[in-house]
Amino acid sequence: MRNIENRKYVIALIFLIIPLIFIVRLFYMQVVDTQWKERAAQISENRITTYPARGIVYDRNGVKIISNEVYYDIHVIPKQTNNTDSIALTKLLGISMDEYVSKMNKARNYSRRKPSELVRQIPPNEFSVIAPELYKYPGFFEVARTLRVYPKKIAAHVLGYMNEANGTDIEKDSYYKSGDYIGRSGIEKMYEKELRGQRGVKYYLQDAIGLSTGKYENGDYDTLAVQGQNLSLSIDWELQAYGEKLMQNKLGSIVAIEPATGEILAMISAPTYDPNLLVGRHLGANYGALAEDTLLPLQNRSLNSAYPPGSIFKTVMALIGMQEGVITENASFPCNKALAGCHNHPTAMNVSDGVKMSCNPYFIQLVRRIVQQGKDKSIFKDAAIGLDIWAKYVRSFGIGTDLQVDYPTNVHGNVPDAAYYDKHLNFRWAFSTIQSIAIGQGEVLITPLEMANLAAILANRGYFIPPHFIKSIDQGEIPEIYRTKKYTMVDSAYFEPVIDGMWRVVHEDGGTARRARLDSIAICGKTGTVENFKRISGKVYQLTDHSNFMAFAPRDNPQIAISVFIENSGFGGTWSAPLASLMIEKYITGTVADTAKENRILNANLIPDAEDIIRK
Amino acid sequence: MRGQENKLFAHIDWGLLSVYFILVFLGISNVYSSVFDPDNPGLFSLDTEHGKQIMWFGVSLFLGIVIFFLESNFIRKYAYWFYGFTMLLLIAVLFTSPINGARSWFGFGGVGIQPSEFAKIGVAMALARFIDQNSSSKESRSLKNVSGLSTLWGIIPFILKNKETALILGLPCVLVLLQPDAGTFIIFTSFLLVLYREGYAGNILLFLVIAVIIAVITLLVADTNFMFLFTKIKLSGNAGIIIVLVLLAGIFAAIIRSFVMKRNRKPLYRSLIGSFLIAVIFVNFVEIGYTNILQSHQKERIDLLLGKIDDPDGKGYNINRAKAAIGSGGFMGKGFKSATLANASQRHVPMQSTDFIFCTWSEERGFIGAFVLVGLYTFLLLKMVVMAERQRSVFTRVYAYCVASIFFYHFMINVGMAIGLAPVIGIPLPFFSYGGSSMMSFSVLIFILLKLDSERKVVLQ
Repeated sequence: MRNIENRKYVIALIFLIIPLIFIVRLFYMQVVDTQWKERAAQISENRITTYPARGIVYDRNGVKIISNEVYYDIHVIPKQTNNTDSIALTKLLGISMDEYVSKMNKARNYSRRKPSELVRQIPPNEFSVIAPELYKYPGFFEVARTLRVYPKKIAAHVLGYMNEANGTDIEKDSYYKSGDYIGRSGIEKMYEKELRGQRGVKYYLQDAIGLSTGKYENGDYDTLAVQGQNLSLSIDWELQAYGEKLMQNKLGSIVAIEPATGEILAMISAPTYDPNLLVGRHLGANYGALAEDTLLPLQNRSLNSAYPPGSIFKTVMALIGMQEGVITENASFPCNKALAGCHNHPTAMNVSDGVKMSCNPYFIQLVRRIVQQGKDKSIFKDAAIGLDIWAKYVRSFGIGTDLQVDYPTNVHGNVPDAAYYDKHLNFRWAFSTIQSIAIGQGEVLITPLEMANLAAILANRGYFIPPHFIKSIDQGEIPEIYRTKKYTMVDSAYFEPVIDGMWRVVHEDGGTARRARLDSIAICGKTGTVENFKRISGKVYQLTDHSNFMAFAPRDNPQIAISVFIENSGFGGTWSAPLASLMIEKYITGTVADTAKENRILNANLIPDAEDIIRK
Repeated sequence: MRGQENKLFAHIDWGLLSVYFILVFLGISNVYSSVFDPDNPGLFSLDTEHGKQIMWFGVSLFLGIVIFFLESNFIRKYAYWFYGFTMLLLIAVLFTSPINGARSWFGFGGVGIQPSEFAKIGVAMALARFIDQNSSSKESRSLKNVSGLSTLWGIIPFILKNKETALILGLPCVLVLLQPDAGTFIIFTSFLLVLYREGYAGNILLFLVIAVIIAVITLLVADTNFMFLFTKIKLSGNAGIIIVLVLLAGIFAAIIRSFVMKRNRKPLYRSLIGSFLIAVIFVNFVEIGYTNILQSHQKERIDLLLGKIDDPDGKGYNINRAKAAIGSGGFMGKGFKSATLANASQRHVPMQSTDFIFCTWSEERGFIGAFVLVGLYTFLLLKMVVMAERQRSVFTRVYAYCVASIFFYHFMINVGMAIGLAPVIGIPLPFFSYGGSSMMSFSVLIFILLKLDSERKVVLQ
């Protein structure tokens, strides 16, 4: 019996052990392990994000060029649908029956009580047709969301576009969440942080079927959405639109800068497209079509293409020569056609003549003096020393350097120096080897923006303010660098002979840009013609020359500096110069007097065809 | 004994009564919190669960006072009658129309009564009465002189020798399984603890533990296959267990052969073979029972517990939400009426006022509260053991153990379920889960115990 009496201890022990196990388990679950707290938050809390309106973008005169517009997503709650006439509904919403069936199945699988998206981003004009009919389809309803709209349909390359943030974006910046929109290029990307504003979050408690049952912690953790900042750009939308019109059926770019401020007045890259194409539900398809176009409409040629500058480079050579003291403004060189090809013209008696006549041998001899200054006995070493001096001068004009433009790009021109040639030439070199740099050919490359900036330097007689798009921001100032003058290494005194030559280019007979002449405005300009080669199946073909032109006007107190670059269009004076003059006239006077000149440009189709290769 | 007739509440165990009142008070406040509706915050409205719970507590107190006016002799005398009455109710309830697939409820207007709750009281009383009557007449009712594994072999003779006990326990088991109500059936197995204490079936607890281990292993390997050592023969997991059992039997046989004198070997061999055969039959029974007898939701609950399936938003929805609610309570809890998962407006935890009431408590009161609750129950259980052991009356002792075992099972399974240590079985947590039948039956169990205990000093007839 004693044995049995002891069993009470066994029972008492069992009554102790089980609660002890429970206590240990509870301690682990409630105090040690955090996974259940996370799980509980995931189950019971819901955050609703309130999206701020993205900042509006205005042009320099306060005209809206980027705005917001309400688009509509159609959502469905499967449980609430009732005898849906699916044929009529698909017709109304403009989707196929297959798409409808698969989306509805997906929605039902996701949740019968929670809404799922059926059609996304229906523009307001299409929705106005759908809205009055939608009541016939219970369970289907619209959800508004704001998207970008570009009311003037201009400057697609400058303004950029937006799309949904991808995994990389989300990883880089925790602000973004799946489904958010992010500026992908241009101003939308550059000023993303200013434009996007600050999202607001409201925390709710939700019940088992996901419906809200009240605020979490009385809304103590809620934040309000902060509207994005509005921007004003330096773009003049009318000038921009006019430039885009002039550049139709051409490949190339126009960049116009206000010299005194560095503000970019217009930036055209042709061919262009309507920025509204890259908004809304057709973004993917439209982007695909643009990306496949062989004329590269998505490429911003103004910033992301570098070409040899051609003859416009001669202005810089003359300035360096005078500053370096190897010539005076009255220097004369014979037109020695053994050095380089040239057209027939009187001998250039001074710098102004040289610029006006654009004499190739003149500038080759001039640059030889800069590069081969006789500082070393060996002509090779001498050339290396001289070229580095030359390159430093050229870079002080912003060429081949980062101009710090407020646009996402990292393409610059190229200024070859001694190291560059040592690397790329596998033989010893002196000036005679590389003399084509003197006339802006060969290894020298310049972007259209750098070219416009060069025009601005000439207009300012020796300095520039880094070109930029931003004119003002709602809150905060524009960056200091966009208010700071950057001086070239050439004193302003040396600019006048070059500017005189540029004036004569336009205004004197024998100048290469007579087509740019305006009666009312004194334009100073310089044409360029760029030889252009293309390698096709191993064989090098010479294509029609690129034509370019840079100018500023008026000669005194310049208001606009401009570069025009038209691919495969021949001599600079033929197309680029008159086009630039139209832009200048439009900007300064507001109208264009010479409609014949305008129509000639408008009607010209300079897009090269396949035969262009054979022709040359 | 002076003036005992005048002192109705003399010799009451105030400790037990206090724990009872504390548990009821905490339980009702917790039901109030779990069903709290800010638009209808009244405490005494009979439209609310807490209001009804207060009403049932009032009814329970009334029953308690009635019990205190009864003679304990009366309780002893009519134990079988009460048992018979509750069995009749269990039979009668089988002729009602099913609610949620089970015939467990008598509906009176808006009030439902669960006879199986009261059957526990009947069984406890009948068992106490039976063992009390037999304690003096029978010298030995157990197989205590046969020890060890031989007990397993003796299970059938045990049932045959104790036909009456088997009938008292077996009848309600069969009747609740017919409802069907597996939860209450499991509660009836709690009486095995009482039988153990009373000297039945020596190592029945060891037997149960071994059986649970074998069952768990069987279920874990049920659908698996393995390659037999060094061969390419594919065998089921089940065959593997049997191979292990054969090996174990061989090892034991070798031990017996080496260490036991020859004349003692024979009964040991016999019980070894018997145990082996029972184990093999049991393994197959578990598998067949699992596949053929259990309903699919019961299988799922077992699979979830064993970790064979992981489906937090589907099959494991209840238990996942319950654990999240408890775990999110943290150390201090979220505060009274501040649960965000186990409450009436969020409804993440299903049945948060009944079967999963522990979730609301632990979420709002945190580890501190859970610790206090588990402590109170442990105190209650140990108190009952102490009370049982101080009785001179066999009837009262057995009855006290019955009550302790019933409370222990409810506590172990309900809390174990909520924290993921037991399969999901829908049985209430005494005084915490909302429900009139359970409030009344648990109260009556306690009050009868208090009444019987208060007369412990009266000389038995």
